[in-house]
Amino acid sequence: MKRNKSMIWAFTIPGTILFLGVFIYPIIRTVIMSFFKIVEITDPISKWEFRGLGNYADLFNAPLFIQSLINIAKIWTIGGIVTLSISLLLAIILTSGIRGKGFFQAAIYLSNVISAVAMATMWIQYAFNSSYGFFTTFFRIIGLESLAKIQWLDAEHKFFALLFSYCFGMIGHHMLIWISGIERISKEYYEASGIDGANKFQQFFHITLPLLRGILRTNIIMWSISIAGFFIWSQLFSPLTADTSTVVPMVYMYTKVFGAETADIISRDAGAGAAIGIILCAFVIIIFRVANKVLKDDDLEF
Amino acid sequence: MKVLKNREKSAPFNLSKEIKLLPGYIILILWVAFTAVLLGWVVAASLSTTADIFSGDILGFKTGLHFENYAKAWVSSNVSVFFVNSLIYAVLSCAFIILVCAPYAYVLQRFEFKGRKLITSALAGTMGVPLIMVIIPLYTLVAGAGMLGNAFSNRIVLIVLFVAIKVPYTTTFLMAYFANISSAYEEAAAIDGCHPIKAFWLIVFPLAQGGVVTVTIFNFIAIWNEYFLSLLFVNSEKLRPVALGLFSMINGMKYSGDWSGLFASVIIVFIPTFVLYIGLSKKIIGGITGGVKG
Repeated sequence: MKRNKSMIWAFTIPGTILFLGVFIYPIIRTVIMSFFKIVEITDPISKWEFRGLGNYADLFNAPLFIQSLINIAKIWTIGGIVTLSISLLLAIILTSGIRGKGFFQAAIYLSNVISAVAMATMWIQYAFNSSYGFFTTFFRIIGLESLAKIQWLDAEHKFFALLFSYCFGMIGHHMLIWISGIERISKEYYEASGIDGANKFQQFFHITLPLLRGILRTNIIMWSISIAGFFIWSQLFSPLTADTSTVVPMVYMYTKVFGAETADIISRDAGAGAAIGIILCAFVIIIFRVANKVLKDDDLEF
Repeated sequence: MKVLKNREKSAPFNLSKEIKLLPGYIILILWVAFTAVLLGWVVAASLSTTADIFSGDILGFKTGLHFENYAKAWVSSNVSVFFVNSLIYAVLSCAFIILVCAPYAYVLQRFEFKGRKLITSALAGTMGVPLIMVIIPLYTLVAGAGMLGNAFSNRIVLIVLFVAIKVPYTTTFLMAYFANISSAYEEAAAIDGCHPIKAFWLIVFPLAQGGVVTVTIFNFIAIWNEYFLSLLFVNSEKLRPVALGLFSMINGMKYSGDWSGLFASVIIVFIPTFVLYIGLSKKIIGGITGGVKG
């Protein structure tokens, strides 16, 4: 086995260097930066000004940041419930012995391979357009004038439009995760309970759901990871300025660190930007912990 | 599983069973129809004129099919530049990712050595770390070294970042693959005096082809559509990938007003991943449903 030593070195060094350079070192530095005031992102350490938890205190006193946290919390909960339940419904339909499963599966997943910019353009410029858009035309045809008149992209409805279009695109991915879980449940459970007289609904609530706890956890974790990186959709729905109905922490951070047209509202500070990263990361860790505790599936085997 | 699938396919038509499934069919068909209408409209709009789009009558094609929208978008709106950039970034990054991660995953899965547990759990752990945690120091590092100054080093920076960002995911994915390949092959090769590095590339790596292809499709789609890192690290218009180029076109719409051209660009950007998807959707879907652990 001695000759393996050189191979272990040769095979681990490139990956480890990249990993250390792009994950470990920046994570440590972000944690440190969050305790300093750093006006320009490229400022040398000698120009950093220590302020303890000052960045965090300031952030929690900034109305726009609070708004961004509220928005992301709404996207996570409302969007999460909608996405995970609709994707579960579609997964159940697809695993119920339907014809053309492969086609439907592929068609529903399709939006995940399209660039988010292209997807959002389609929604904003077509679906939600108030003169020739899909919803306006559709509601006019079925005679619901009041719904046809809604300006989907005005300040009042924009958040809903954003949430709707984002969830629509995410459902395909979560549906496939559910399917993978459902297909691993042994058919014998259903056959045995069927003989005992259980109907489809009883089977769903007493067999499928309890056995899908681990998959629910996977889904929640995946959903949380994508929400923590929520940026592009918000930027596309409000391209020029961070607007209160669609602002999310990452957009706030981007403005804080790199400055944008809203520079007059938000003063530039890379340290505060780092603190936003820590806050988001803390939420993700809490969600992981809670999900792992609540949805432990070690007592179930299948 | 395969046997079961065949049985499902050849199941004879059973009316009462199909009627029970009817609500399911309706939901699925409506869902797919809605998607098709949205995408179909974009395709139609890309072949019509801006005036037709605003009059709400794109399906009339009163002035014929305007394929020149595509030519215009490709040449004068610089979509060709974005397209080639994304192609360069995606192809080179995907190649380097495999070059780094396949051997990495292999030794982490096969051999017992100091730090192995630490590395594997760190890799798995960072998959959940939001990008926002790493970009500020990375930007300082890269900009501080003046690497965004010229086009060549700027491209290198992007490719290195795309590769590095995908290391945890790709390595973890491939480790699961190598676990299913028997080590008997390498052992036989070692007895024949084959150097382990050579044995890996010539014997084990080809056996892992299925996993390599699947993970590369995912990486390719992700890098092709990548937006956030490029937004921060691309310093000149000439280096923009498709997502960023499209975004700048949208912002320029109120000056250019060429909506049919915008939709043509959307379709051009969409085509490579769509073609890949049509050809490989089984692999892509299998990669998700097979790679998920409860």
